[in-house]
Amino acid sequence: MSGISLRNIRKSYPGGPQVLHGISLDIEPGEFIVIVGPSGCGKSTLLRLIAGLEACEEGDIIIGGKRANDLAPQDRDIAMIFQNYALYPHMSVRENIAFGLELRGMKKAERHARAEAVAKTLQLEAYLDRKPGALSGGQRQRVAMGRAMARSSSTFLMDEPLSNLDNALRVAMRTEIKELHRQLGATIIYVTHDQTEALSLADRIAVLKDGHLLQFDTPSAIYDRPANRFVAGFLGTPPMNFLAGDQLPDMPGAAGNIVGLRPEALRASFTREAGASLPAKIVLSEMVGADMILHCETPAGRVTAMAPRRDFTAGQEQVWLGYDAAQALFFEAGTGARI
Amino acid sequence: MKREHPLKLALALAAGLLFLSPALYSIVLSFQTADSYYRGGFDFTLGNYRNAVGFYHFARYLLNSVIVSSLVTLLSIGFSTMAAFAFARFRFRGGDFLFGAVVATLMIPSHISLIPNYLTLAKAGLLDSYAGLVLPAISNGFAAFFLRQYIRGIPKALDEAAYMDGATPLKVLWRVIVPLARPAILSMALYVFITEWNNYIWPLVAIGKEDLYTLQIGLARLYHNNPGEGLIDWPLVMAASTLTLLPVLAGFLLVERHLVRGITMGAVK
Ligand SMILES: Nc1ncnc2c1ncn2[C@@H]1O[C@H](COP(=O)(O)OP(=O)(O)OP(=O)(O)O)[C@@H](O)[C@H]1O
Ligand SMILES: [Mg+2]
Repeated sequence: MSGISLRNIRKSYPGGPQVLHGISLDIEPGEFIVIVGPSGCGKSTLLRLIAGLEACEEGDIIIGGKRANDLAPQDRDIAMIFQNYALYPHMSVRENIAFGLELRGMKKAERHARAEAVAKTLQLEAYLDRKPGALSGGQRQRVAMGRAMARSSSTFLMDEPLSNLDNALRVAMRTEIKELHRQLGATIIYVTHDQTEALSLADRIAVLKDGHLLQFDTPSAIYDRPANRFVAGFLGTPPMNFLAGDQLPDMPGAAGNIVGLRPEALRASFTREAGASLPAKIVLSEMVGADMILHCETPAGRVTAMAPRRDFTAGQEQVWLGYDAAQALFFEAGTGARI
Repeated sequence: MKREHPLKLALALAAGLLFLSPALYSIVLSFQTADSYYRGGFDFTLGNYRNAVGFYHFARYLLNSVIVSSLVTLLSIGFSTMAAFAFARFRFRGGDFLFGAVVATLMIPSHISLIPNYLTLAKAGLLDSYAGLVLPAISNGFAAFFLRQYIRGIPKALDEAAYMDGATPLKVLWRVIVPLARPAILSMALYVFITEWNNYIWPLVAIGKEDLYTLQIGLARLYHNNPGEGLIDWPLVMAASTLTLLPVLAGFLLVERHLVRGITMGAVK
């Protein structure tokens, strides 16, 4: 178990523009960190730097209290799950999982037993003797997972490890990762595009954009008190509504600013209620289980709202969207920073 | 598997026989007495082989050829593979220049280095020895170049995964790169082996002792043995040629199985 500190990391690939612009992060031992951000913002690059597969031209990487910039990957005691799996095509699933143990000198019987135990938790027993070429995408992903899990490393780096699994398997694996984290007490740095994953797994979430760290905080803090408009819009489905403050009635302090309202903070009703509300016309509605997502046209612009499905009758177009100034966030129109 | 048209098959067979015919002809000749060869007719005999192996020491030459070609193949493929791995995967100061130098050696005709090599080995006192036959051949720029290209085609993520699993660079080479490059390495090894097996000029220059003759030298010297007035004992020459040919053929059949059995990729989605 070891903490990881990044100090002002800058990185550019040879001949390319700068990818990371001074990232600083302090990760406690045993913490579960999720990194989110749009495609190409440098998430994989950051993981590769921590792993030692890339070198940064500026900044310090400190692992377990020691500067690790010049440490070879094999000396960092870090297990990594690659975004594209990187399974050894000439080895069976069993050998793939056991390879790391073999390199550490574990006896054959012992490491195969370990590989089989890991395969069992990942529902891979039936495929132990197959080569990766004969597996589906989701199975390969689980083998990649198993390869990292087999070694009890102090730190795990996971680059979108569940992106190719079906929903049921993904939920099961999520529990498995959580359990792994609890059992080993390992530090986990996890990259994902999936918001549910980010919010449910993370002790803290790091939001990256264009190589800048925008916010690094607990899921609830990020959700409730986003640092800026980008973070507010990035986490949460459907995304937060951003409305011009001048157009919203009964919203003190909104003038000249952008007002952010989460869809669930809007109450849709067919009659005008007391309090602040906007008249809206439903242009599109989507069913998502117990709720409906309503896409509405309002005087303040396009707005997305959520409403329980049983309250909602088809065919009706005119609704009122009630809101509460207390649940609104205000952002500076120019910089996007939260006020 | 696709069924071929019978006509296509017949054509392919005919072409195959055409290519094989010189070899078949020489094998048939090798079982004939010199007498019957020159008079016409066919008298079966194993005498040519007995002669070649016994009287003309072809067993010894065969052994020499096997030793030299095997050593050259093992060493040059070993070194080339390591060089190829380094050139394909590591960026180091002067690396591009060194690789350029390796490629440049491909443009030097081998005969140009004949005299310098001879003088070097003479100074080192290695003429007339196995070392003298093997050493000049173990740096093989072509093999290094060819294998580097192949290794570059193997996803680098596999190396990285192995490093994360705790492998050292040599372990990565041995456990990941070599198994995956096996078809290329075996093809290259076969090519190097055959080239060395057929090497004539260098052994001719470097070897004076009859004990160290390779098959090619021995074969060339057979032409001086006459059964009669200015005649060449062709059946004897053909028997010796067949002895020269067979090990290569056997080696090819042995390796070919591995060449065809490709590696199923599936490392990267
Ligand atoms: N080897 C490389 N050489 C040059 N540029 C690279 C290299 N790898 C990545 N990049 C660039 O660096 C930037 C960040 O890439 P990175 O792979 O870290 O993004 P990411 O956040 O992981 O994206 P995704 O979510 O799509 O996986 C991208 O603009 C990419 O084009
Ligand atoms: Mg990525």
